[in-house]
Amino acid sequence: MAWFSLLMFGFMYLPIAVLAFYSFNDSRYSTGWKGFTWKWYQLFLSDSRILTALANSLLVAGFAVAIAAVIGTLMAVGLARYRFPGKQLYQSVAYLPLIVPDISIAVATLVFLAAVAIPFSGGLVQLGLGTIIAAHVVFCLSYIAIVVSTRINALDPHLEEAALDLGATPFQAFIQVLLPELMPAIVSGCLLAFVLSLDDFLISSFTTGGGVKTLPIEIFGRIRTGVKPDINALSVILITVTGFLFALAEYLRYRTEQKRQKRFQN
Amino acid sequence: MTADSPSRQTTPQALPKWLEPFFLLMPAGLWLLLLLVLPTLLIFELSFVPGIRPGQVVNPSGLDNYFRILHPDYLPVLWRSLFFSVSTTFLTLVLGFPVAYWIALKIPKQWQNFVLLSFVLPLWTSSLLRSYAWITILRPTGVLNTALSLVKIPPLDILNREPAVLIGMTYSLLPYMVLILYAALEKLDRRLLEAASDLGATPSQAFWQVTVPQSLTGIAAGALLVFITSMGDFVNPELLGGASSMTVARLVYNQFLGVTQNWGFGSALSMILTLVVSIAIALLLKYGDRSAASGV
Amino acid sequence: MPPRRFSSAAISRRRFLQTSAAIAAGLASPGCGWTLAEVRPADAKGDQDKLGIYTWESYIDPELIQTFRTQTALDVAYDIYDSNEVMMATIRSGKGTNYSVVYPSDYAVAEMIGKKELLRLDKSRINGLENLMPEFQNSAFDPNNAYSVPVSWGTTGLIYNADELKIDITDWSDLWNLKQQLTRRMTMLADMREVMGATLKSLGYSYNSDNPAEIQQAYDKLTELKPALATFTTDAWQNQLIAGDYLLCMAFSMDAVSVMQENPDLNLRYVIPKSGTSLWNDTMAILSTAPNLDAAYEWINYMLQPAIAVDITKRLFFATPNQSAYDQLPNPLRNNQSLFPPEAILKPCERLTNLEPKIAELYDRYWTRLTSK
Repeated sequence: MAWFSLLMFGFMYLPIAVLAFYSFNDSRYSTGWKGFTWKWYQLFLSDSRILTALANSLLVAGFAVAIAAVIGTLMAVGLARYRFPGKQLYQSVAYLPLIVPDISIAVATLVFLAAVAIPFSGGLVQLGLGTIIAAHVVFCLSYIAIVVSTRINALDPHLEEAALDLGATPFQAFIQVLLPELMPAIVSGCLLAFVLSLDDFLISSFTTGGGVKTLPIEIFGRIRTGVKPDINALSVILITVTGFLFALAEYLRYRTEQKRQKRFQN
Repeated sequence: MTADSPSRQTTPQALPKWLEPFFLLMPAGLWLLLLLVLPTLLIFELSFVPGIRPGQVVNPSGLDNYFRILHPDYLPVLWRSLFFSVSTTFLTLVLGFPVAYWIALKIPKQWQNFVLLSFVLPLWTSSLLRSYAWITILRPTGVLNTALSLVKIPPLDILNREPAVLIGMTYSLLPYMVLILYAALEKLDRRLLEAASDLGATPSQAFWQVTVPQSLTGIAAGALLVFITSMGDFVNPELLGGASSMTVARLVYNQFLGVTQNWGFGSALSMILTLVVSIAIALLLKYGDRSAASGV
Repeated sequence: MPPRRFSSAAISRRRFLQTSAAIAAGLASPGCGWTLAEVRPADAKGDQDKLGIYTWESYIDPELIQTFRTQTALDVAYDIYDSNEVMMATIRSGKGTNYSVVYPSDYAVAEMIGKKELLRLDKSRINGLENLMPEFQNSAFDPNNAYSVPVSWGTTGLIYNADELKIDITDWSDLWNLKQQLTRRMTMLADMREVMGATLKSLGYSYNSDNPAEIQQAYDKLTELKPALATFTTDAWQNQLIAGDYLLCMAFSMDAVSVMQENPDLNLRYVIPKSGTSLWNDTMAILSTAPNLDAAYEWINYMLQPAIAVDITKRLFFATPNQSAYDQLPNPLRNNQSLFPPEAILKPCERLTNLEPKIAELYDRYWTRLTSK
């Protein structure tokens, strides 16, 4: 079983290794090793179209996650605390993006924009960065909400009550008691949503316009029209950066857990 | 007047009770209504308009778009999508279960998280780039065939055919399956296994009669996730499938962003896709109820 | 860690579907008569320093843009398409509001003029039209170049690796003859008119056939060939041909010449099929929804400059219709038979004409069926 698992590990990392290999290979087309070179990295760093696309992706992910973090957390808290008529319906709609395939969401959003948003706003709303962000908020919402709600359910409900007893307004209780408790879940949900937004191809393709490209759209376009090896350099950079960020996040989580354990012990 | 005994709430109750939940739930609700519910209803309506393209007037007129999928040119597309999804589900299950088992039951507790996360780490890189890497590997003069030629095996013609798509899809979804199976196997009560072996069960019997039934919910959850995601997968069939591996997701893409511009048919396809996914979920729930009722 | 994608949401989902079906049924009945995404003319509020261009891969490169910026201080943002149909679809679905200049081919120009998608050119703002060769001063699809300016012309043919493929390719029928040998080592263009036209030609019919029976035959013949094709691609075949993955590709002349020029060590050959092929023109045109008219005219004037035309022909290898540019080309390029084929070879070639709507729909349907299988 161990051997098989190691084989599967190899399978998982094979494409990564291939990308890394060719990012240093001094050849445009051939499969064999033709010498070590940094030129694809240099080419990538001077490729303004890819850098713009990368910047767009980061912008979209940043804004979408920021908005979704706020309204998603509020929504998760609201769903956990209150009962109201139509709650089942609200909940199922909220978690719909987790179930429905991306392409259905993408199609629906494009139709909505084309049929309602653009005509009714008199051309004020146009397909572009804003519409991509708006579409991304939808699924980021769901992911953040579900991560946060798992955490809320595990929380001690009496903490907030205690704060209210001590004279805090509900608003203060929320900010100073609930929010810090939820913070690890919010951060972890945001991280998840951020990565998903960066990687999204379909929803971005359908809701973009005016020449705005996110990274996956640009990469896809290049694969269609002939790839230059600077794509390999890009992938290695992306992998190392995300790997690093992820290790950082894990480390921070580990540290907070440690601190928490210590606090309970004292 | 301070004759009243000091009350708990020093702030006057001037705000109505529904304000707090409203404030919490309204922003997200509005966003979802506008960008999820309304769009879905719109494509539902659009799916009844045959052959509509942008610039035309919408007049729902019938189920033509739905019947179109039954046409002999399009029905194979649906079957092919189902074939890919079912096969991918099966493959990820078969390949992922041993890995999840190994991590959950054979690796010491403190290392489990690390090993699991390092298995899943490739997930955090762009899925497009990973599929593109498979092109480099599976090309006629790619890495695979070069390696095979070194050991004198004749080259394999994989790219631009179904096997390449299966490899790509399995690769993309294996980490998800492993994660879910791990979560289920981690909760496995080892004492059950001990008891089984005490009672004289062989490892194989213990596996099939204790481990598998106990992790059935995990298996079902993983299978459902993989099935749904692979039904909607566009990138792998598009990049690795070539001219002859059309799937439902690619077909939908072509209706909106390709040359065809038949938004009505595309909407209908999208609804059919959602329907297939719903059926899968419904089946799971039915099966889930049954297994819970007859549970060990 | 990605969470499990469902929970009690799954159960409630069925109820959601039921309720939404009810709502939708109620909505759908009176909710008709609205129009889907009309593209409205821009209010010229676009960024006046930027020019949006929508063009083919082969007609643009960073150097061209750089020189333009030095000359005019205007920035260019461009996007690529690989067939006229994709370009027209993008414009019509409302995603082209950023573009001022577009590069339609001959028949596409005619179609777009008919749909009022192109701006009537103000000739007083263009200089350099007299540089064009006499045969390009007027055209069947756009009389007197009222809406478009020719920028390139060429043929469609087959490019192959003569070393790997020991046979001489001469005609479209070779694709069918080599079906068994070259399974998935052949590609055709992702272009409906070109592929259907080539097949029609191989059956002895016209590239622009409007006879439903003939079109049906072409479709059947293509269905035969399709399993042997790796993919339909207009640009992506280049890297793969050089790498040796593909051995025989349908290509536009300028792409073929470009690949051959950049890889002199490979024995690549471009062939114009004996039974004839399409003789196409590509043009520059201004969209009626263009956000930046001034910049658009600047670009057209820039491209008409002989110096620029010579430069790009030498770099990007497309056949220029610019007479003074042609005169200034170095001899090897001028005598390049793939780029500037002699009359004899051009005789059986046809120009693509605009199809009437019913026939265009027929082509469209067959093409959709072909690519959807």
